[in-house]
Amino acid sequence: MLTWGIGGLITALYGIPAVAYLLAPALERAQEQVWIRLGSIDKVELGVPTLFKTTIERTSGWITDREELSVYVITNDGREFTALSNVCTHLGCRVRWIPDREEFFCPCHNGVFDRSGAVVSGPPPRALDAYEVQVEDDQISILGS
Amino acid sequence: MASKLADWVDERIAYRQIWQAIFLRKLPKVNWLYTLGSASLLVAINQIVTGILLTIYYVPTPDHAYDSVQYISSQVPAGWLIRGLHHWGASAMVVLAVLHMLRVIYYGSYKYPREVTWLTGVLLLLTVLGFGFTGYLLPWDQKAYWATTVGTRIAQVTPFVGDWMLRLLRGGSELSAITLARFYGVHVWVLPAGLLALLSGHMYLVIKHGISQVPERQKEPTDG
Repeated sequence: MLTWGIGGLITALYGIPAVAYLLAPALERAQEQVWIRLGSIDKVELGVPTLFKTTIERTSGWITDREELSVYVITNDGREFTALSNVCTHLGCRVRWIPDREEFFCPCHNGVFDRSGAVVSGPPPRALDAYEVQVEDDQISILGS
Repeated sequence: MASKLADWVDERIAYRQIWQAIFLRKLPKVNWLYTLGSASLLVAINQIVTGILLTIYYVPTPDHAYDSVQYISSQVPAGWLIRGLHHWGASAMVVLAVLHMLRVIYYGSYKYPREVTWLTGVLLLLTVLGFGFTGYLLPWDQKAYWATTVGTRIAQVTPFVGDWMLRLLRGGSELSAITLARFYGVHVWVLPAGLLALLSGHMYLVIKHGISQVPERQKEPTDG
């Protein structure tokens, strides 16, 4: 009985830290959201989604990488701005704006979205993700991580 | 129900007999010095468990080795504990194995019929030293780098084959990514394979022969 007790204790002493150790990265929360500056709103034409590119730092484990972030900015009146992620909501490919057809197109599985990001056709389950937007002194920023 | 199931299993794999042979075998009256072998085994199990856990995060390349070790120690929950157990366990392993060997020498336990047990034990000690030598490089910090520089230089002074041994250990003339990768490979694959083989043989022989008695002082010869 004592033997089993000691055995159980040792197993717990190793087992509990081991489980915490193994699960840690899976339970880690998403990185804190910050305002990311995209650039001047001057280049955004009325009604035309305009692509902004910026680089962000992303840390995973012990590695910090610079990653390119692409965002489509749209305005219909020059005052209200919308920022759409270019990541397809289906499986994560990058969508692009096709001016002739006036729609976003994802080449991986023919997903199509309209100007507002809503799904027109194809497999995407929901509209393109929109960022929170802030405009200050003609500079547009989005809230992201 | 439970005992019926136990009987069913026992009839097929004879676990009770195995349990009996390993844990309920008869021992001569011995002292605490006879626990050094079991203590070495316990620490070996500790090294295996914590070592496997460390490979989950550790990356054996010059780019990532140091950072991944720092990540384990400072970011991962209980990482400091698991690395600490492996680090201190390594030293304890050498100390315990050497003390165990001294006990065997002083009590004459290596004698007939236990010569092969002794031989496997000596090889096990060399394996442990190999673990210590290769493991020391893996954190890839200054201490690790220079200790391995010196350690491989020691191999170089071997007559005739020294230069060749240095190159073999380093995987070239300089300490490099190749050195780190091969030390890691040896540490996590080659030596554990050897350890398990030798340990199985060692344990089998210990159980097969039973442990030796504490030697007794010979009686004063009486005048004939």
